Amino acid sequence: MKVDFNKRLLVVWLVLASVTLAYLWIDHSNGGAPSASAVVTSSVIVIALIKVRIIFREFMEVRQAPILLCRLTDAWVVLMGVSLLSSYFVGMALA
Amino acid sequence: MTDHSVAQVTKPGKFVPGQPDMWAFVLFETLVFTGYFGFYLFYRTQSPELFLRAQAQLDLRIGVFNTLVLLLSSWSVARCVQSARAGAYRQAHTDAVLTTLFGLVFMVSKVFEWFRQIRIGNGFASNDFFTYYYFLTGIHFIHLLIGFIALGVIFYQLRRPAPRSRGSQELVETCATYWHTVDFLWVLIFALLYVVR
Amino acid sequence: MNTLATRTASPLAWYARQNPKRELWLAWGTLVVFYIFFGVVFFVLTRTQPPPSPAWDSRKVVQWFQDNHSGILIGFAIMFVITGMTTMSNALIAYSMRRMSVSPAFGYTYLILYSLSAIPGMLLMCIALTVGALRPDRDPELITWTYDFAFLSFIGTMGVFLIGSLVWMLAILIDKNRVFPKWFGYLNLCNALTEIVVSPAWIFRRGVLAWNGQIAWWLNMVVFAIYTGVFIFLLRQLIQREDFGTGPLPNLAPKAAR
Repeated sequence: MKVDFNKRLLVVWLVLASVTLAYLWIDHSNGGAPSASAVVTSSVIVIALIKVRIIFREFMEVRQAPILLCRLTDAWVVLMGVSLLSSYFVGMALA
Repeated sequence: MTDHSVAQVTKPGKFVPGQPDMWAFVLFETLVFTGYFGFYLFYRTQSPELFLRAQAQLDLRIGVFNTLVLLLSSWSVARCVQSARAGAYRQAHTDAVLTTLFGLVFMVSKVFEWFRQIRIGNGFASNDFFTYYYFLTGIHFIHLLIGFIALGVIFYQLRRPAPRSRGSQELVETCATYWHTVDFLWVLIFALLYVVR
Repeated sequence: MNTLATRTASPLAWYARQNPKRELWLAWGTLVVFYIFFGVVFFVLTRTQPPPSPAWDSRKVVQWFQDNHSGILIGFAIMFVITGMTTMSNALIAYSMRRMSVSPAFGYTYLILYSLSAIPGMLLMCIALTVGALRPDRDPELITWTYDFAFLSFIGTMGVFLIGSLVWMLAILIDKNRVFPKWFGYLNLCNALTEIVVSPAWIFRRGVLAWNGQIAWWLNMVVFAIYTGVFIFLLRQLIQREDFGTGPLPNLAPKAAR
Protein backbone atom coordinates (compact mmCIF):
# COMPACT_ATOMS: atom_id res chain seq x y z
CA MET A 1 0.00 0.00 0.00
CA LYS A 2 2.67 2.44 1.02
CA VAL A 3 4.61 1.84 -2.19
CA ASP A 4 1.51 2.71 -4.21
CA PHE A 5 1.05 5.93 -2.29
CA ASN A 6 4.66 6.86 -2.71
CA LYS A 7 4.48 6.32 -6.43
CA ARG A 8 1.40 8.45 -6.73
CA LEU A 9 3.05 11.32 -4.86
CA LEU A 10 6.08 11.10 -7.11
CA VAL A 11 3.91 11.20 -10.23
CA VAL A 12 2.14 14.24 -8.84
CA TRP A 13 5.45 15.98 -8.28
CA LEU A 14 6.57 15.15 -11.83
CA VAL A 15 3.38 16.62 -13.24
CA LEU A 16 3.76 19.81 -11.20
CA ALA A 17 7.44 20.07 -12.10
CA SER A 18 6.75 19.68 -15.82
CA VAL A 19 4.06 22.34 -15.71
CA THR A 20 6.56 24.63 -13.95
CA LEU A 21 9.17 23.93 -16.61
CA ALA A 22 6.58 24.64 -19.26
CA TYR A 23 6.67 28.23 -18.05
CA LEU A 24 10.25 28.40 -19.29
CA TRP A 25 9.02 27.31 -22.68
CA ILE A 26 6.25 29.92 -22.72
CA ASP A 27 8.78 32.54 -21.81
CA HIS A 28 11.24 31.33 -24.43
CA SER A 29 8.72 31.21 -27.22
CA ASN A 30 7.60 34.73 -26.38
CA GLY A 31 11.26 35.67 -26.53
CA GLY A 32 12.90 38.92 -27.55
CA ALA A 33 11.63 42.12 -25.99
CA PRO A 34 9.13 41.43 -23.24
CA SER A 35 5.70 42.77 -23.97
CA ALA A 36 2.53 42.87 -21.96
CA SER A 37 0.12 40.16 -23.00
CA ALA A 38 -3.30 39.46 -21.60
CA VAL A 39 -3.23 35.98 -23.10
CA VAL A 40 0.03 35.03 -21.43
CA THR A 41 -1.02 36.57 -18.13
CA SER A 42 -4.41 34.89 -17.95
CA SER A 43 -3.08 31.50 -18.99
CA VAL A 44 -0.24 31.73 -16.50
CA ILE A 45 -2.69 32.53 -13.73
CA VAL A 46 -5.01 29.69 -14.70
CA ILE A 47 -2.12 27.23 -14.91
CA ALA A 48 -0.89 28.34 -11.48
CA LEU A 49 -4.37 27.75 -10.05
CA ILE A 50 -4.48 24.29 -11.60
CA LYS A 51 -1.20 23.56 -9.84
CA VAL A 52 -2.65 24.86 -6.58
CA ARG A 53 -5.67 22.60 -6.98
CA ILE A 54 -3.41 19.61 -7.61
CA ILE A 55 -1.48 20.47 -4.46
CA PHE A 56 -4.74 20.68 -2.53
CA ARG A 57 -6.10 17.40 -3.80
CA GLU A 58 -2.97 15.27 -3.84
CA PHE A 59 -0.39 16.64 -1.44
CA MET A 60 -2.87 17.99 1.08
CA GLU A 61 -5.06 14.88 0.75
CA VAL A 62 -8.27 16.73 0.04
CA ARG A 63 -9.12 13.86 -2.32
CA GLN A 64 -9.77 11.70 0.73
CA ALA A 65 -11.41 14.42 2.74
CA PRO A 66 -15.08 14.95 3.53
CA ILE A 67 -17.04 16.51 0.71
CA LEU A 68 -17.23 19.87 2.51
CA LEU A 69 -13.47 20.34 2.37
CA CYS A 70 -13.39 19.29 -1.30
CA ARG A 71 -16.04 21.85 -2.13
CA LEU A 72 -14.39 24.55 -0.01
CA THR A 73 -10.96 24.17 -1.60
CA ASP A 74 -12.46 24.08 -5.08
CA ALA A 75 -14.49 27.17 -4.25
CA TRP A 76 -11.32 28.86 -3.04
CA VAL A 77 -9.49 28.08 -6.28
CA VAL A 78 -12.39 29.53 -8.25
CA LEU A 79 -12.53 32.55 -5.96
CA MET A 80 -8.83 33.19 -6.44
CA GLY A 81 -9.18 32.85 -10.17
CA VAL A 82 -12.06 35.27 -10.31
CA SER A 83 -10.31 37.80 -8.03
CA LEU A 84 -7.00 37.70 -9.85
CA LEU A 85 -8.43 37.79 -13.34
CA SER A 86 -10.87 40.55 -12.52
CA SER A 87 -8.14 42.66 -10.85
CA TYR A 88 -6.16 42.26 -14.03
CA PHE A 89 -8.93 42.92 -16.51
CA VAL A 90 -10.48 45.76 -14.55
CA GLY A 91 -7.01 47.28 -14.39
CA MET A 92 -6.57 46.86 -18.13
CA ALA A 93 -9.90 48.53 -18.74
CA LEU A 94 -9.01 51.46 -16.54
CA ALA A 95 -5.44 51.88 -17.79
CA MET B 1 -13.02 10.95 15.34
CA THR B 2 -10.47 10.00 12.75
CA ASP B 3 -8.69 6.70 13.12
CA HIS B 4 -5.16 6.72 11.85
CA SER B 5 -4.32 3.06 12.32
CA VAL B 6 -2.67 1.06 9.55
CA ALA B 7 -5.96 -0.63 8.73
CA GLN B 8 -7.35 2.72 7.75
CA VAL B 9 -4.72 3.09 5.06
CA THR B 10 -5.94 0.04 3.18
CA LYS B 11 -9.51 1.25 3.10
CA PRO B 12 -9.41 5.00 3.58
CA GLY B 13 -12.52 6.59 4.97
CA LYS B 14 -13.12 10.30 4.67
CA PHE B 15 -11.06 12.28 7.10
CA VAL B 16 -9.84 15.81 7.41
CA PRO B 17 -6.03 15.80 7.29
CA GLY B 18 -4.83 17.55 10.42
CA GLN B 19 -6.81 19.93 12.59
CA PRO B 20 -9.76 21.56 10.82
CA ASP B 21 -8.58 24.70 12.59
CA MET B 22 -5.43 24.75 10.51
CA TRP B 23 -7.57 24.49 7.38
CA ALA B 24 -9.50 27.55 8.54
CA PHE B 25 -6.18 29.38 8.87
CA VAL B 26 -5.03 28.18 5.44
CA LEU B 27 -8.18 29.38 3.73
CA PHE B 28 -8.14 32.72 5.55
CA GLU B 29 -4.49 33.40 4.83
CA THR B 30 -5.06 32.47 1.20
CA LEU B 31 -7.74 35.15 1.02
CA VAL B 32 -5.37 37.73 2.46
CA PHE B 33 -2.69 36.81 -0.08
CA THR B 34 -5.26 36.92 -2.86
CA GLY B 35 -5.86 40.51 -1.77
CA TYR B 36 -2.14 41.27 -2.09
CA PHE B 37 -2.02 39.58 -5.51
CA GLY B 38 -5.08 41.47 -6.67
CA PHE B 39 -3.50 44.82 -5.88
CA TYR B 40 -0.29 43.75 -7.60
CA LEU B 41 -2.08 42.74 -10.80
CA PHE B 42 -4.18 45.87 -10.83
CA TYR B 43 -1.26 48.23 -10.38
CA ARG B 44 0.74 46.26 -12.90
CA THR B 45 -1.80 47.12 -15.54
CA GLN B 46 -1.48 50.81 -14.68
CA SER B 47 2.23 50.95 -15.47
CA PRO B 48 2.91 47.99 -17.80
CA GLU B 49 6.17 49.32 -19.24
CA LEU B 50 7.72 49.97 -15.85
CA PHE B 51 6.72 46.57 -14.55
CA LEU B 52 7.93 44.75 -17.65
CA ARG B 53 11.29 46.48 -17.63
CA ALA B 54 11.80 45.82 -13.94
CA GLN B 55 10.59 42.25 -14.21
CA ALA B 56 13.16 41.56 -16.92
CA GLN B 57 15.82 42.00 -14.25
CA LEU B 58 14.59 38.87 -12.51
CA ASP B 59 16.05 35.55 -13.56
CA LEU B 60 13.21 33.20 -14.49
CA ARG B 61 15.44 30.17 -14.06
CA ILE B 62 16.03 30.96 -10.40
CA GLY B 63 12.28 31.28 -9.95
CA VAL B 64 11.74 27.91 -11.60
CA PHE B 65 14.46 26.37 -9.45
CA ASN B 66 12.83 27.81 -6.31
CA THR B 67 9.47 26.40 -7.33
CA LEU B 68 10.85 22.94 -8.08
CA VAL B 69 12.64 22.85 -4.74
CA LEU B 70 9.58 23.88 -2.78
CA LEU B 71 7.42 21.40 -4.68
CA LEU B 72 9.96 18.74 -3.73
CA SER B 73 9.64 19.77 -0.10
CA SER B 74 5.86 19.39 -0.37
CA TRP B 75 6.36 15.96 -1.87
CA SER B 76 8.64 14.86 0.96
CA VAL B 77 6.37 16.20 3.71
CA ALA B 78 3.38 14.47 2.10
CA ARG B 79 5.41 11.27 2.11
CA CYS B 80 6.27 11.91 5.72
CA VAL B 81 2.61 12.11 6.69
CA GLN B 82 1.81 8.87 4.89
CA SER B 83 4.81 7.06 6.33
CA ALA B 84 3.90 8.18 9.83
CA ARG B 85 0.31 7.10 9.28
CA ALA B 86 1.50 3.66 8.21
CA GLY B 87 3.74 3.42 11.25
CA ALA B 88 7.02 3.68 9.35
CA TYR B 89 8.50 6.29 11.64
CA ARG B 90 12.08 5.92 10.50
CA GLN B 91 11.02 6.63 6.94
CA ALA B 92 8.87 9.52 8.15
CA HIS B 93 11.87 10.97 9.95
CA THR B 94 13.96 10.78 6.78
CA ASP B 95 11.20 12.50 4.85
CA ALA B 96 11.04 15.26 7.44
CA VAL B 97 14.79 15.74 7.16
CA LEU B 98 14.47 15.98 3.37
CA THR B 99 11.73 18.57 3.72
CA THR B 100 13.94 20.64 6.00
CA LEU B 101 16.82 20.42 3.55
CA PHE B 102 14.69 21.50 0.61
CA GLY B 103 13.31 24.35 2.70
CA LEU B 104 16.83 25.48 3.56
CA VAL B 105 17.89 25.36 -0.09
CA PHE B 106 14.94 27.57 -0.97
CA MET B 107 15.78 29.94 1.86
CA VAL B 108 19.43 30.31 0.90
CA SER B 109 18.57 30.68 -2.76
CA LYS B 110 16.05 33.42 -1.96
CA VAL B 111 18.51 35.37 0.20
CA PHE B 112 21.16 35.15 -2.53
CA GLU B 113 18.65 36.37 -5.07
CA TRP B 114 17.81 39.36 -2.88
CA PHE B 115 21.44 40.24 -2.43
CA ARG B 116 22.03 39.99 -6.14
CA GLN B 117 19.12 42.28 -6.89
CA ILE B 118 20.23 44.80 -4.29
CA ARG B 119 23.74 44.76 -5.73
CA ILE B 120 22.48 45.61 -9.20
CA GLY B 121 20.52 48.44 -7.70
CA ASN B 122 17.00 47.09 -7.26
CA GLY B 123 15.96 47.84 -3.71
CA PHE B 124 12.65 47.80 -1.86
CA ALA B 125 11.79 51.34 -2.82
CA SER B 126 13.45 51.37 -6.26
CA ASN B 127 10.24 51.16 -8.21
CA ASP B 128 6.73 49.80 -7.82
CA PHE B 129 7.54 46.38 -9.25
CA PHE B 130 10.39 45.80 -6.84
CA THR B 131 8.30 47.03 -3.94
CA TYR B 132 5.87 44.21 -4.73
CA TYR B 133 8.71 41.79 -5.36
CA TYR B 134 10.33 42.31 -1.98
CA PHE B 135 7.00 42.58 -0.22
CA LEU B 136 5.57 39.34 -1.61
CA THR B 137 8.76 37.32 -1.38
CA GLY B 138 9.43 38.85 2.05
CA ILE B 139 6.09 38.01 3.60
CA HIS B 140 6.34 34.57 2.02
CA PHE B 141 9.79 34.17 3.52
CA ILE B 142 8.37 34.86 6.97
CA HIS B 143 5.75 32.17 6.34
CA LEU B 144 8.60 29.85 5.39
CA LEU B 145 10.42 30.57 8.63
CA ILE B 146 7.26 29.73 10.56
CA GLY B 147 7.17 26.56 8.43
CA PHE B 148 10.47 25.52 9.95
CA ILE B 149 8.89 25.78 13.38
CA ALA B 150 6.07 23.56 12.09
CA LEU B 151 8.69 21.06 10.89
CA GLY B 152 10.22 21.19 14.35
CA VAL B 153 6.87 20.14 15.78
CA ILE B 154 6.77 17.24 13.30
CA PHE B 155 10.23 16.11 14.37
CA TYR B 156 9.17 16.29 17.99
CA GLN B 157 6.07 14.20 17.33
CA LEU B 158 8.04 11.60 15.37
CA ARG B 159 10.56 11.25 18.16
CA ARG B 160 7.99 9.96 20.62
CA PRO B 161 8.06 6.22 21.17
CA ALA B 162 5.08 4.08 20.13
CA PRO B 163 2.23 3.65 20.91
CA ARG B 164 1.31 7.05 19.62
CA SER B 165 -1.73 9.05 20.47
CA ARG B 166 -4.22 9.98 17.81
CA GLY B 167 -3.33 13.55 18.51
CA SER B 168 0.26 12.97 17.49
CA GLN B 169 -0.60 11.97 13.92
CA GLU B 170 -3.08 14.82 13.72
CA LEU B 171 -0.37 17.26 14.74
CA VAL B 172 1.98 15.92 12.07
CA GLU B 173 -0.75 16.34 9.46
CA THR B 174 -1.57 19.82 10.73
CA CYS B 175 2.01 20.97 10.35
CA ALA B 176 2.25 19.34 6.93
CA THR B 177 -0.88 21.21 5.87
CA TYR B 178 0.81 24.46 6.88
CA TRP B 179 3.93 23.55 4.91
CA HIS B 180 1.90 22.82 1.78
CA THR B 181 0.36 26.27 2.13
CA VAL B 182 3.82 27.83 2.04
CA ASP B 183 4.39 25.83 -1.14
CA PHE B 184 1.23 26.72 -3.02
CA LEU B 185 1.50 30.37 -2.04
CA TRP B 186 4.94 30.34 -3.64
CA VAL B 187 3.52 28.70 -6.77
CA LEU B 188 1.22 31.70 -7.10
CA ILE B 189 3.88 34.27 -6.22
CA PHE B 190 6.26 32.75 -8.74
CA ALA B 191 3.66 32.85 -11.48
CA LEU B 192 2.72 36.45 -10.73
CA LEU B 193 6.17 37.94 -10.20
CA TYR B 194 8.28 35.99 -12.67
CA VAL B 195 6.06 34.73 -15.47
CA VAL B 196 3.06 36.98 -15.90
CA ARG B 197 3.54 39.57 -18.66
CA MET C 1 -27.75 27.07 42.08
CA ASN C 2 -29.98 28.02 44.99
CA THR C 3 -29.75 31.62 43.91
CA LEU C 4 -31.97 30.68 41.02
CA ALA C 5 -34.96 30.97 43.35
CA THR C 6 -34.09 34.52 44.28
CA ARG C 7 -33.39 35.35 40.66
CA THR C 8 -37.00 35.68 39.75
CA ALA C 9 -37.49 38.36 42.43
CA SER C 10 -35.15 40.96 40.93
CA PRO C 11 -32.78 39.75 38.23
CA LEU C 12 -30.78 42.95 38.11
CA ALA C 13 -30.24 42.98 41.88
CA TRP C 14 -29.14 39.39 41.71
CA TYR C 15 -26.67 40.16 38.95
CA ALA C 16 -25.25 43.08 40.85
CA ARG C 17 -24.94 41.35 44.17
CA GLN C 18 -24.46 37.65 43.66
CA ASN C 19 -23.46 36.72 40.17
CA PRO C 20 -19.91 35.44 40.59
CA LYS C 21 -19.17 36.49 37.07
CA ARG C 22 -20.13 40.12 37.51
CA GLU C 23 -16.59 41.44 37.40
CA LEU C 24 -15.95 39.48 34.23
CA TRP C 25 -19.07 40.86 32.60
CA LEU C 26 -18.12 44.35 33.71
CA ALA C 27 -14.72 43.92 32.10
CA TRP C 28 -16.27 42.59 28.90
CA GLY C 29 -18.84 45.37 28.81
CA THR C 30 -16.11 47.96 29.30
CA LEU C 31 -14.17 46.40 26.44
CA VAL C 32 -17.14 46.67 24.11
CA VAL C 33 -17.92 50.23 25.15
CA PHE C 34 -14.30 51.22 24.65
CA TYR C 35 -14.21 49.89 21.10
CA ILE C 36 -17.43 51.69 20.27
CA PHE C 37 -15.95 54.96 21.53
CA PHE C 38 -12.72 54.18 19.69
CA GLY C 39 -14.60 53.64 16.43
CA VAL C 40 -16.66 56.80 16.77
CA VAL C 41 -13.74 59.01 17.84
CA PHE C 42 -11.25 57.83 15.25
CA PHE C 43 -13.53 57.26 12.28
CA VAL C 44 -16.14 59.93 12.72
CA LEU C 45 -15.06 62.70 15.07
CA THR C 46 -11.39 63.11 14.32
CA ARG C 47 -11.43 61.52 10.84
CA THR C 48 -7.98 60.09 11.47
CA GLN C 49 -9.11 56.72 10.23
CA PRO C 50 -8.90 56.06 7.32
CA PRO C 51 -5.69 58.06 7.57
CA PRO C 52 -5.00 61.03 5.33
CA SER C 53 -2.12 60.84 2.92
CA PRO C 54 1.56 60.95 3.88
CA ALA C 55 2.28 62.48 0.49
CA TRP C 56 0.62 65.81 1.26
CA ASP C 57 2.59 69.01 1.41
CA SER C 58 2.42 71.44 4.32
CA ARG C 59 -0.41 73.44 2.82
CA LYS C 60 -2.70 70.43 2.53
CA VAL C 61 -1.77 69.20 5.99
CA VAL C 62 -2.60 72.55 7.57
CA GLN C 63 -5.87 72.54 5.64
CA TRP C 64 -6.69 69.11 7.04
CA PHE C 65 -6.06 70.31 10.56
CA GLN C 66 -8.32 73.28 9.95
CA ASP C 67 -11.11 71.11 8.54
CA ASN C 68 -10.98 68.74 11.49
CA HIS C 69 -10.06 71.23 14.19
CA SER C 70 -12.89 70.76 16.68
CA GLY C 71 -13.29 67.09 15.84
CA ILE C 72 -9.66 66.43 16.73
CA LEU C 73 -9.70 68.39 19.97
CA ILE C 74 -12.98 67.02 21.24
CA GLY C 75 -12.46 63.48 20.00
CA PHE C 76 -9.04 63.05 21.50
CA ALA C 77 -10.12 64.72 24.72
CA ILE C 78 -12.64 61.90 25.00
CA MET C 79 -9.89 59.37 24.32
CA PHE C 80 -7.70 60.79 27.06
CA VAL C 81 -10.54 60.34 29.51
CA ILE C 82 -11.45 56.79 28.54
CA THR C 83 -7.99 55.35 27.81
CA GLY C 84 -8.11 53.59 31.17
CA MET C 85 -10.84 51.33 29.81
CA THR C 86 -8.24 49.46 27.84
CA THR C 87 -6.92 48.05 31.09
CA MET C 88 -10.12 46.04 31.46
CA SER C 89 -9.69 44.61 28.01
CA ASN C 90 -6.10 43.59 28.65
CA ALA C 91 -6.95 42.19 32.07
CA LEU C 92 -9.72 40.05 30.61
CA ILE C 93 -7.42 38.62 27.97
CA ALA C 94 -4.74 37.97 30.56
CA TYR C 95 -7.42 36.32 32.70
CA SER C 96 -8.28 34.03 29.81
CA MET C 97 -4.66 32.92 29.79
CA ARG C 98 -4.72 32.34 33.54
CA ARG C 99 -7.70 30.01 33.01
CA MET C 100 -5.63 27.99 30.55
CA SER C 101 -3.42 25.10 31.56
CA VAL C 102 -0.32 27.06 30.55
CA SER C 103 2.05 28.91 32.85
CA PRO C 104 0.73 32.16 34.35
CA ALA C 105 3.81 33.78 32.80
CA PHE C 106 1.87 34.07 29.56
CA GLY C 107 -0.82 36.21 31.16
CA TYR C 108 1.73 38.36 32.94
CA THR C 109 3.77 38.91 29.78
CA TYR C 110 0.67 39.96 27.90
CA LEU C 111 -0.37 42.34 30.66
CA ILE C 112 3.01 44.05 30.79
CA LEU C 113 3.26 44.29 27.02
CA TYR C 114 -0.16 45.75 26.55
CA SER C 115 0.00 48.13 29.46
CA LEU C 116 2.92 49.73 27.66
CA SER C 117 1.51 49.43 24.18
CA ALA C 118 -1.27 51.99 24.53
CA ILE C 119 1.36 54.70 24.48
CA PRO C 120 2.86 54.21 21.06
CA GLY C 121 -0.19 52.36 19.84
CA MET C 122 -2.67 55.11 20.40
CA LEU C 123 -1.83 57.87 22.84
CA LEU C 124 1.12 59.32 20.98
CA MET C 125 -1.07 60.02 18.00
CA CYS C 126 -3.80 61.53 20.17
CA ILE C 127 -1.27 63.82 21.88
CA ALA C 128 0.58 64.79 18.72
CA LEU C 129 -2.55 65.64 16.76
CA THR C 130 -3.99 67.57 19.67
CA VAL C 131 -0.77 69.58 19.85
CA GLY C 132 -0.94 70.13 16.11
CA ALA C 133 -4.52 71.32 16.26
CA LEU C 134 -4.13 73.49 19.33
CA ARG C 135 -2.52 76.49 17.61
CA PRO C 136 -3.75 76.74 14.00
CA ASP C 137 -1.46 79.70 13.37
CA ARG C 138 1.68 77.74 14.19
CA ASP C 139 4.44 77.39 11.60
CA PRO C 140 3.12 74.96 8.91
CA GLU C 141 6.37 73.01 8.99
CA LEU C 142 5.87 72.31 12.69
CA ILE C 143 2.27 71.28 12.13
CA THR C 144 3.39 68.89 9.39
CA TRP C 145 5.94 67.51 11.83
CA THR C 146 3.25 66.66 14.38
CA TYR C 147 1.19 65.13 11.58
CA ASP C 148 4.00 62.81 10.46
CA PHE C 149 4.88 61.97 14.05
CA ALA C 150 1.28 61.15 14.90
CA PHE C 151 0.54 58.83 12.00
CA LEU C 152 3.90 57.12 11.94
CA SER C 153 3.65 56.38 15.64
CA PHE C 154 0.11 55.07 15.34
CA ILE C 155 0.47 52.93 12.27
CA GLY C 156 4.14 52.12 12.36
CA THR C 157 4.61 50.87 15.91
CA MET C 158 3.02 47.52 15.49
CA GLY C 159 5.75 45.59 17.23
CA VAL C 160 4.10 45.52 20.64
CA PHE C 161 0.84 44.21 19.25
CA LEU C 162 2.69 41.68 17.15
CA ILE C 163 4.43 40.11 20.15
CA GLY C 164 1.23 40.22 22.17
CA SER C 165 -0.63 38.31 19.47
CA LEU C 166 2.13 35.72 19.37
CA VAL C 167 2.04 35.28 23.15
CA TRP C 168 -1.71 34.74 23.08
CA MET C 169 -1.39 32.41 20.10
CA LEU C 170 1.21 30.27 21.82
CA ALA C 171 -0.85 30.06 24.99
CA ILE C 172 -3.94 29.01 23.03
CA LEU C 173 -2.11 26.35 21.03
CA ILE C 174 -0.48 24.77 24.08
CA ASP C 175 -3.54 25.06 26.29
CA LYS C 176 -5.25 21.83 27.31
CA ASN C 177 -8.28 23.45 28.91
CA ARG C 178 -9.87 24.25 25.56
CA VAL C 179 -10.44 27.85 26.61
CA PHE C 180 -10.32 28.99 23.01
CA PRO C 181 -10.64 27.00 19.78
CA LYS C 182 -7.34 26.35 18.03
CA TRP C 183 -8.42 28.28 14.95
CA PHE C 184 -8.44 31.41 17.07
CA GLY C 185 -4.82 30.71 17.96
CA TYR C 186 -4.07 30.67 14.25
CA LEU C 187 -6.09 33.85 13.75
CA ASN C 188 -3.69 35.48 16.20
CA LEU C 189 -0.93 34.46 13.84
CA CYS C 190 -2.77 36.10 10.94
CA ASN C 191 -3.10 39.25 12.99
CA ALA C 192 0.58 39.17 13.94
CA LEU C 193 1.56 38.78 10.30
CA THR C 194 -0.54 41.76 9.26
CA GLU C 195 1.32 43.80 11.86
CA ILE C 196 4.51 42.96 10.01
CA VAL C 197 2.93 43.97 6.73
CA VAL C 198 2.35 47.44 8.13
CA SER C 199 6.00 48.13 8.89
CA PRO C 200 6.95 49.35 5.37
CA ALA C 201 4.79 52.38 6.15
CA TRP C 202 7.98 53.90 7.58
CA ILE C 203 9.54 53.89 4.13
CA PHE C 204 6.77 54.72 1.69
CA ARG C 205 4.94 58.00 1.34
CA ARG C 206 2.78 56.79 -1.50
CA GLY C 207 1.50 53.53 -2.87
CA VAL C 208 -0.01 50.43 -1.34
CA LEU C 209 2.45 50.26 1.55
CA ALA C 210 2.15 53.85 2.74
CA TRP C 211 0.38 54.44 6.05
CA ASN C 212 -2.87 54.99 4.16
CA GLY C 213 -2.11 52.37 1.52
CA GLN C 214 -4.50 49.70 0.29
CA ILE C 215 -2.37 46.93 1.74
CA ALA C 216 -0.83 48.57 4.80
CA TRP C 217 -4.08 50.13 5.98
CA TRP C 218 -7.19 48.91 4.15
CA LEU C 219 -6.47 45.19 3.91
CA ASN C 220 -4.89 45.24 7.36
CA MET C 221 -7.89 46.97 8.84
CA VAL C 222 -10.18 44.26 7.46
CA VAL C 223 -8.07 41.55 9.12
CA PHE C 224 -7.83 43.54 12.34
CA ALA C 225 -11.58 44.21 12.44
CA ILE C 226 -12.35 40.52 11.93
CA TYR C 227 -9.82 39.61 14.61
CA THR C 228 -11.25 42.12 17.10
CA GLY C 229 -14.85 41.06 16.45
CA VAL C 230 -13.89 37.42 16.88
CA PHE C 231 -12.04 37.89 20.16
CA ILE C 232 -14.81 40.02 21.64
CA PHE C 233 -17.23 37.21 20.78
CA LEU C 234 -14.94 34.49 22.13
CA LEU C 235 -14.31 36.37 25.37
CA ARG C 236 -18.06 36.53 25.84
CA GLN C 237 -18.26 32.79 25.31
CA LEU C 238 -15.43 32.30 27.77
CA ILE C 239 -17.32 34.15 30.49
CA GLN C 240 -20.49 32.19 29.74
CA ARG C 241 -18.59 28.91 29.98
CA GLU C 242 -16.49 29.86 32.99
CA ASP C 243 -16.75 27.45 35.88
CA PHE C 244 -13.91 28.92 37.97
CA GLY C 245 -12.17 25.57 38.02
CA THR C 246 -8.76 24.61 36.77
CA GLY C 247 -9.67 21.82 34.39
CA PRO C 248 -10.96 21.91 30.85
CA LEU C 249 -13.56 24.59 30.36
CA PRO C 250 -16.99 23.06 29.80
CA ASN C 251 -18.69 23.73 26.51
CA LEU C 252 -21.60 26.08 26.32
CA ALA C 253 -24.79 24.31 27.44
CA PRO C 254 -27.60 24.32 24.87
CA LYS C 255 -30.02 27.21 25.36
CA ALA C 256 -32.79 25.09 26.90
CA ALA C 257 -30.65 23.93 29.79
CA ARG C 258 -29.37 27.44 30.64
